[in-house]
Amino acid sequence: MSADMAGDDRRDGRRETGAGAHPILEAKDLVVNFYTYEGVVKALNGVSLTIPHGITFGLVGESGCGKSVFVRSLMGLVQEPGRIDGGELIFYPGPPSGDGPVQGVDLLRQPESYLQRIRGDRISMIFQEPNAALNPIMTVGEQVAESFLFHRVREMSEKIAADLGAGGGRTTGPVKAVLRVLCGISARNPHARVLRVLNRVPVLKRWRRRLLREALSRSAELLGRLGISNPEEVIRRYPHNLSGGMKHRIVIAMALACKPVLLIADEATSNLDVTIQAQILDLLKGLKETEISSVLLITHDLGVVAETCDRVGVMYAGNVCEIANVGELFRNPRHPYTQALLNAVPKMAQTGPLESIEGTVPNLVDPPPGCRFHPRCPNAGEPCREVFPEMREMGVGHRVACYFPVEDIG
Amino acid sequence: MGPFILRRLFFLIFVLFGVSVLIFGILMSFSPERRAAAYITTPQQAKDLPRLVRTYGLDDPFYIQYGRWVGEVAAGNLGWSLVAAQPVWTAFWMYFPVTLELNLYAAPLIIWFGIWLGTRSAIHRDDWFDHLSRVFAIIGWSLPTFLFALVLLMVFYGYFRMFPPGIIGDETALYIMNHPESFSRYTGMVTVDGILNGNWRVALDGLRHLVLPVTTQVIVVVALLMRVMRSGMIEELSKDYVITARAKGADDRTVHLRHARKNALIPVVTVAGQLVAFSMEGSIAVEVVFNRQGMGWWLAESATQLDMPVLMGMCLFMGLVFVITNLVIDILYAAIDPRIRLV
Repeated sequence: MSADMAGDDRRDGRRETGAGAHPILEAKDLVVNFYTYEGVVKALNGVSLTIPHGITFGLVGESGCGKSVFVRSLMGLVQEPGRIDGGELIFYPGPPSGDGPVQGVDLLRQPESYLQRIRGDRISMIFQEPNAALNPIMTVGEQVAESFLFHRVREMSEKIAADLGAGGGRTTGPVKAVLRVLCGISARNPHARVLRVLNRVPVLKRWRRRLLREALSRSAELLGRLGISNPEEVIRRYPHNLSGGMKHRIVIAMALACKPVLLIADEATSNLDVTIQAQILDLLKGLKETEISSVLLITHDLGVVAETCDRVGVMYAGNVCEIANVGELFRNPRHPYTQALLNAVPKMAQTGPLESIEGTVPNLVDPPPGCRFHPRCPNAGEPCREVFPEMREMGVGHRVACYFPVEDIG
Repeated sequence: MGPFILRRLFFLIFVLFGVSVLIFGILMSFSPERRAAAYITTPQQAKDLPRLVRTYGLDDPFYIQYGRWVGEVAAGNLGWSLVAAQPVWTAFWMYFPVTLELNLYAAPLIIWFGIWLGTRSAIHRDDWFDHLSRVFAIIGWSLPTFLFALVLLMVFYGYFRMFPPGIIGDETALYIMNHPESFSRYTGMVTVDGILNGNWRVALDGLRHLVLPVTTQVIVVVALLMRVMRSGMIEELSKDYVITARAKGADDRTVHLRHARKNALIPVVTVAGQLVAFSMEGSIAVEVVFNRQGMGWWLAESATQLDMPVLMGMCLFMGLVFVITNLVIDILYAAIDPRIRLV
């Protein structure tokens, strides 16, 4: 993968997104390796994709193909022994409505403090196991409130200061004046060191309590909007008191608190039963209209993709092999792997046995040279064994990395 | 919670019955003459052995002897301690404050230091801090207590004359004896009494005698707690809710202290409770080397001289300590972990 490929990608990115739309995220040649005792696991082998603003982008592939590693590297949350060894991740955090192009930032070249500000605020993530994703010994309210406490202290202190100014409540006289000073400090710099010290002083602790109360009431209001009845009571409960569907909504609420521009749903509906899955997908669809601009949906369920996504990327063994709009991909898959994947989905009218893909997913410590799919590919030829095929445009907004694509039927 | 505590305290009766039958049974494996021999101090008295056995009913059947002991205990008589040359009850209040005072300082230090070290070395896993604290833990854990205590004593008393052994200095002891009207012994613990009487000279002298034994106790015991804390913390840090917290934009401090550490404390509470309970028995090595006559010293002496009333009294005491400790641990569990309900 080389620089000219990255340039190529950017050009295509513009075309794919259609008139007027900006990309929200561009991954260029992203390489992630895991340094384990068994050897170096080449989890992402130069992944390039562009997620346009305002759509739902699906990322599909078998388990272990690198979908989750990809989104974790977006969030800067690749865990030990994993390491991002190359590439660029350009994120466009600004508001999309402005004139002219939005300034992009390369997330891989930002300090941790910047990522902390972005995470949960501009990009946020919904996890696949709400059971494990919630801290068992914190109330639901505290956990949702954290999102506000991490990113909305400034705004909330201004509100508290305004409330104090409006009068009412028990706080009077000098205490009130001091609390207003504290609000002033935190409105200017929410992470001021002074605050951490002052928060331990008995009377001044009240300021922290007010902040927490404000965050909790925002959380309750948010849960109400997500269709949880009786949110005031729910925020006082612990995760183990809630049903699976409820917990899922809580996890979604944590991600939505600050209205991110990009929401990542990592297998968010995979382990749910069908009715709850439908509910959650409807909820996400509704939120997509109102609260968030773009969704990156990671799944292995092609049904979910067909129902919710606008554009789809197919991944295999650490590479993206095909990207297309959803209708195009299902109607006219060009990569042999995509075709095999689609054939493996059971159909109502099916008479013969279910098709599967021959062979197994390669071991990423020692992946096959060239195209990583070639050992299982019916079309594999000489070049496939040697050099990885570059992404090529095959139709409008339809990009495939294959030397011998499946016949075009579009 | 009230009924829970009452029920647990009710079970205490069965625990005490169980341990006392067990210990009494083991002591019965000594022959009646062997047990009577404890009361003989001169060769002339040796011919009284059969008479002694008969007077104290030492050759009666097990259940009669046990019943006799239970009857006495129920009447409030724990017996006579040969080692202390006092009634067991009185001797207990002489030795127990010495051990309690040591633990009063050692236990909080062990708990605080163990949690702090474990947390830090889990966060900085495989860093120099982690390696250093693990080496420290292994040394503390595997070094014989008496050897470590002796080395400390040799350096800080033998060379520097800073921290003497014993419980209290001669001058201070004299002062207390000569001023009974202005210095009252509320607790039997030198430092605590000194503070309660507002007498800093006594308090500081007590503290000076405590430095070395407390240091020994902390260094020897902290390793276990630190390792439990470290492994608990490492496990918690790998859990999904930590990633969730990071994905929300949490800083390291919040992730480590607010999310992971509180979860990791659950097993630590158990270990810390057991450690505190065990140390109420007194560390024999520490008490012997530093010449502090506390529970450990008394127990060791009584065991070698087959001082039966003391051994039986001690087993009641330890049963009590363990039941109460477990009760406190369970209450703490429920306070930390909302999933646990006290029923």
